[in-house]
Amino acid sequence: MIQHDPALLIAALAAAERALNQAIALAPTSQQELDALSGTLLGIEITSLDLILYIDIVSGTEVRLMMHCERTADAFVRGSMEDFAALAASDDPAATLINSGIELEGRSTSLINLQQVISKMDVDWEAPLVEALGDVTGHQLAQTLRRFFHWSEGARASLKRQLSEYLLEEGRLTPPKAELEFFYDSVQSLSMRVERAQQQVEKLIAKAAASRKTS
Amino acid sequence: MSDEQATAADREQDTTDFGFTRVDREAKAGMVRGVFDSVASRYDLMNDLMSGGVHRLWKRFTIELSAARPGQTILDIAGGTGDLAARFSKLVGPEGKVILADINAAMLEVGRDRLIDKGATGNIEVVQADAQALPFEDNSIDCITIAFGLRNVTDKDMALRSMLRVLRPGGRLLVLEFSKPVSPLLGKVYDQYSFQILPAMGRLIAQDADSYRYLAESIRKHPDQDTLMGMMEDAGFMECRYHNMTGGIVAVHQGFKA
Repeated sequence: MIQHDPALLIAALAAAERALNQAIALAPTSQQELDALSGTLLGIEITSLDLILYIDIVSGTEVRLMMHCERTADAFVRGSMEDFAALAASDDPAATLINSGIELEGRSTSLINLQQVISKMDVDWEAPLVEALGDVTGHQLAQTLRRFFHWSEGARASLKRQLSEYLLEEGRLTPPKAELEFFYDSVQSLSMRVERAQQQVEKLIAKAAASRKTS
Repeated sequence: MSDEQATAADREQDTTDFGFTRVDREAKAGMVRGVFDSVASRYDLMNDLMSGGVHRLWKRFTIELSAARPGQTILDIAGGTGDLAARFSKLVGPEGKVILADINAAMLEVGRDRLIDKGATGNIEVVQADAQALPFEDNSIDCITIAFGLRNVTDKDMALRSMLRVLRPGGRLLVLEFSKPVSPLLGKVYDQYSFQILPAMGRLIAQDADSYRYLAESIRKHPDQDTLMGMMEDAGFMECRYHNMTGGIVAVHQGFKA
């Protein structure tokens, strides 16, 4: 069992909590979505680190991260660090949750809703920058940051598209989606035809046995 | 027992530790008051400098262990400048109550002003009280915290019994206090820091090296983790345990009233 010094973990949680609450403060849309989840407690056990954490959604503007909590969690998830990283980055958290090695107790909707709020969080950097640097410099820097984030989002989407194209067209390493779906349909249809044929064979065998008895 | 041994034992009973020196039991409270009167106005700044801000993390973990919830009554003994009380005030909400208690009026004054500045008002009561004879009803408190205060109490056993008395059945006590580093190497580094650097910082920032030398000495005279847990059990607390933090430099002890 790994022995953790609470002070180190508390330091990491305090820093993460501060960053998260500051991001929430700058994302009004997320505040409304988070408010609908207020009062929810999520427990997370990272098995590879032998670590249990709790996320307490106090209100639409405040989230607490804790390493000790005596309330019963609305949802408790258990998995490795890799599983959680995949869930956090997933476009389809429900599917990732089902297909990964993550074990879940309680209400999965709370976890999925929180993942969606965090992944969609649209932070408005302009207000604190203007406050700290003044109208002109703050606005310019905010514009630059916005352009950078849009560029990096675009670059990520473009990379994903290009990688997908390479795997399909150039490398021929993966089949196209339509081809794959046609293949699945064909397999399913073949499976049904085999089942039907098997039933007909069984029926004929039974009929032959009955006619042998009567003759 | 020889007459000489009996006299020595009597003398031992009449005196107590004040850092590394032995003083009359009656005199210790006044001397401790003198130390805290001297450091009160810069206490939080010094704590930040001395611990590199880590005392905030130790306190945060203590708050987590308290499991404080809305409607509860929390007593923060030796609460001094009120940083735990401010956090508890939010957790217990308007239907709960936080009692900030300290034997030292100067520390309480700083704490009260700071709580007002933070907007933590309405559910906080400020009481000047001696931990050895708490002026509260039996079975009236859900949770007691004492952070970096027990080592300054003259009769720690008496204080623990007093805390047990005022706790409700099922209520918990959390003692956050300097303790004994688990690694001998860390212990040596920590000794150097406490007896060389700490008084120098006290001299520079609070213009008071003696008070900070007392703080370092009082830490060394404080019971180690297992001894303090035994004292809590002897006082009548149940399910006692402790968590070491920062290599055992600090420990938080927890015990429940049956």
